[in-house]
Amino acid sequence: MSKLGRYRAPTGEQTDIDMVPVMNMFLVLIPFLLMSVSFFHIKAINTSVPVLAQSKDGADKQIQEKVTAIVEIEPTGFHVSAISDSVGYDVLDKWDRRIAKEGKQAYPLNRLVAQLNEMKVHYPASDTLIIIPEESIIYDTIIQAMDVARYHNNDSLFPNVVLSGKLG
Amino acid sequence: MPLGKIRKESQHFVPPRLQITSMMDMFTIILIFLLFSFSNKPETMTLDKDFKLPKSTAELDYEDNINLALSQTSLELGGEVIATVKNGRVVGLDPHNLKTSRLYERLRSSRESADKLQGHGNPKQHILFLCDKRLPFRTINSVVKAAAMAGYPNFQFGVLKK
Repeated sequence: MSKLGRYRAPTGEQTDIDMVPVMNMFLVLIPFLLMSVSFFHIKAINTSVPVLAQSKDGADKQIQEKVTAIVEIEPTGFHVSAISDSVGYDVLDKWDRRIAKEGKQAYPLNRLVAQLNEMKVHYPASDTLIIIPEESIIYDTIIQAMDVARYHNNDSLFPNVVLSGKLG
Repeated sequence: MPLGKIRKESQHFVPPRLQITSMMDMFTIILIFLLFSFSNKPETMTLDKDFKLPKSTAELDYEDNINLALSQTSLELGGEVIATVKNGRVVGLDPHNLKTSRLYERLRSSRESADKLQGHGNPKQHILFLCDKRLPFRTINSVVKAAAMAGYPNFQFGVLKK
């Protein structure tokens, strides 16, 4: 019998990779990252509050007719109106409308959007909206009104929002 | 004797090997997810557990501003409680005399420091306002008015993405 048969090239031994240091690193990193993770994302709505000293651009002449929409949020619904330096009072009166809530239901935001959209179609250069809530109106309602007033179907309505309290 | 040999072989104890391949898979996926979350917005913001922000379709990311958080129990400026809220009113904030409030004083001094820094560095110009969605406007109105009078009329209202 040939001795060559007994001599065989040794088969490569299977070596296992030592995972312990990698696991150690993971066990340190993951708790640290878990502590800093955020499961909700905060976004922002730019808005401003009227200040007496801020009206610097009164001297600018408006080439296009522009109105400032006003939405008063009352417990019974919305009161929509408009003010303008370039449009007459008789025309502005047409935009003075009330959108009443139906009973104890949620505020009629879709009707508010329709009203503001109509205003925007007539005065496309308009971009400012003043929201005047009554004192009892909750913050969530104010944010929902801001939301619908700024954009409608990806079209910009009144992106500049000013939040004001009632005078008097 | 064959039976004796079998008995000897059966006494060999082979310790079980821990299969950690699946655990490695899981940890790798979790780690990558957490790394992405961490790199998205590394600064932290602590809020009360019962603090509820309103939801909105807004897509604008907030900027690094002065944090003003108004919950149902407290008013915090930059993470520090500066007033408490009771029955929907901020204690120490007189709506007819806002300039006497601690909020106004703190923001006023912050505004003066920012004005001195103008041209040097990047002073914060806006207020990131986080407010509980259940609060009425009468509570919010005094706070935003005080901030506006102190020199911060521009706000970013913090909302949760819908």
